Amino acid sequence: MKRSIFFKQLLLTGGAIASGQQLMATPSLSNPKKWMLPPDLKSGDAIGITCPSGFALQEDIAPAVQYLEKWGLRVVVGKTVGKKDHTFGGTDEERIADFQSMVDNPELKAILCARGGYGAVRIIDKIDFSPLRRYPKWVIGYSDITVFHSHLHAQVGMASIHAKMTEGFPSDPSIFEPTQLQALDTLRQALWGEKLTYTVPPNPLNRPGEASGVLIGGNLKILETLAGTPSDIDTRNKIFFVEDVGEALYSIDRMFCNLKRSGKLSQLKALIVGSFTNIRPDDPDEPFGRSIYDIVWNQVKEYDYPVCFDFCVGHQKNNVALKCGVHHRLQVTSDASTLTMFGS
Amino acid sequence: MSIQPPYLCKGDTIGIVCPSGYLPLADTNACVQQLQEWGFRVRIGATVGNKYHGFAGTDDERCADLQQMLNDPTIHAILCGRGGYGMSRIIDRLDFRWFRKSPKWIIGFSDITILHAHLFGRLHITSFHASMARAFADKNFSNIKTLHNALTGKNARYRCPPHQLNRKGEAIGPLIGGNLSLLAHITGTKTAFSAVGAILFLEDVGEYLYNIERMFIQLKRSGLLSNLSGLVVGGFTETKDGKIPFGATVEELIRAQVEEFSFPVCFGFPVSHADSNVTLKHGAIHRLSVTGRTVLLEEQK
Repeated sequence: MKRSIFFKQLLLTGGAIASGQQLMATPSLSNPKKWMLPPDLKSGDAIGITCPSGFALQEDIAPAVQYLEKWGLRVVVGKTVGKKDHTFGGTDEERIADFQSMVDNPELKAILCARGGYGAVRIIDKIDFSPLRRYPKWVIGYSDITVFHSHLHAQVGMASIHAKMTEGFPSDPSIFEPTQLQALDTLRQALWGEKLTYTVPPNPLNRPGEASGVLIGGNLKILETLAGTPSDIDTRNKIFFVEDVGEALYSIDRMFCNLKRSGKLSQLKALIVGSFTNIRPDDPDEPFGRSIYDIVWNQVKEYDYPVCFDFCVGHQKNNVALKCGVHHRLQVTSDASTLTMFGS
Repeated sequence: MSIQPPYLCKGDTIGIVCPSGYLPLADTNACVQQLQEWGFRVRIGATVGNKYHGFAGTDDERCADLQQMLNDPTIHAILCGRGGYGMSRIIDRLDFRWFRKSPKWIIGFSDITILHAHLFGRLHITSFHASMARAFADKNFSNIKTLHNALTGKNARYRCPPHQLNRKGEAIGPLIGGNLSLLAHITGTKTAFSAVGAILFLEDVGEYLYNIERMFIQLKRSGLLSNLSGLVVGGFTETKDGKIPFGATVEELIRAQVEEFSFPVCFGFPVSHADSNVTLKHGAIHRLSVTGRTVLLEEQK
């Protein structure tokens, strides 16, 4: 077990050196050269469920517990599950204590965030991530959990999984569409260390090309509100993905201005644009007049890296598991776009 | 120390431009009339009344109009017609070389916060955070009078009633700030500025409470709040809340975020998207005094 982890870390570091500036993502906690890749899970391993952001009731997470057990995992339900402090899954103190206990727990191989919402940024600076050096584990989630992915990337130096949370698990698989079940299964594959390859249909607005680099990204709004803070990510030489929900087009445009003006678009290896769902309608008198494709294209037309639209990540049924902080290769052609993880 | 553009005299010319959102030409009528009554000449920029979707023209058109006003030596002040959205798209294309040699007053707020931040952080030039062209038609004329006072060089001195969440104290420093969403939006970008020793003022409109808190946390985590000398909280109007209430008022959530610091804080200052929006000289040294009886913000000579 230990040997295989060591080997993977070696591979990852080797890859990083080979492709130049990957070590820009150096963690500042202690040993700056050691990028952490949590171990693969296997039957019998333990996974925790906690609520660092919005609240989730016991019944909300019951399908996830059942499903994870079906995968052969032992589920440790955190104290914040079922707690409710207004919109939060407990007070800041309760959410910090619960997350911290999971970080500290040597038994756990993964932490599944029950849901997003709002609240991660209130507690991120109060969590001591240093025990992860001894007990690395996968932190799983998306949306508000982008705070954790970014922080782990910028400050801790540990890979994590951008994926569905507890609402993505069906109580009865027959009520879920095949794409939902397939997307859910990619989380199992990611946890089990299986090779992840995603192929999406071409979009005529894609910019073809091939790139490899460390994958990082998440929710665009969260990335903007982390700009200039200690959790802000360095995107140089990386494959960068973004998604969002419920934003107006002008606001998406403004956030892309933020990405550009904070230097996050100029030195990418590639850009992956996921879904922008439930776009808030414009004022009918002042339609924004541009699509999400126009918005992105306007900001990246001066560069030459590959750009892939309509990728299967976002607040939608097809939201696959993506390993942040891990090397991937992206191929964008007129036939399809394919993202392949390598390094495990 | 910041550089202060020359104050205006009768006969000087004020240019009106729309670097962000679209403004119908007719919406400037009251403004033009008033500026003329004050004895100023008015030049209407090409972007006023111009429309490209929600913008007052394409990026090229808005950039060119503002650039022309910045460079034109016969223009003594630039009044932005309205805010909206669009400054982020053109700020990096503006050339301030001529303006730097021959600065003039730039007036506006909301989306224009980006321009104020750029003028303060990069060029060290003071500007006016104030109501824009459309507000001249409003009934609340006292705001507009503060702009005339400011343009003609009267020192600002504003009072507002105490608020139970105020934190008492005195502060002296450059007065900077504006719209919270825009200040969060420029954090981590090339327009970000240092607020060490500054009196920061903030206002916003139409934001969710949780998002106001998230932006405040961003400012705090970026280090912007740690060395302030004072905080002036203006109006947070038309705030939104979810189906499940956030559980704190905007004043409570802001006060909680600055609890760890000791600088004076005042709430309810008349700077906002609503009726009260006095003219503030952005970047100039002010004194803030928060007592149990009153709040005073005055420009220092």
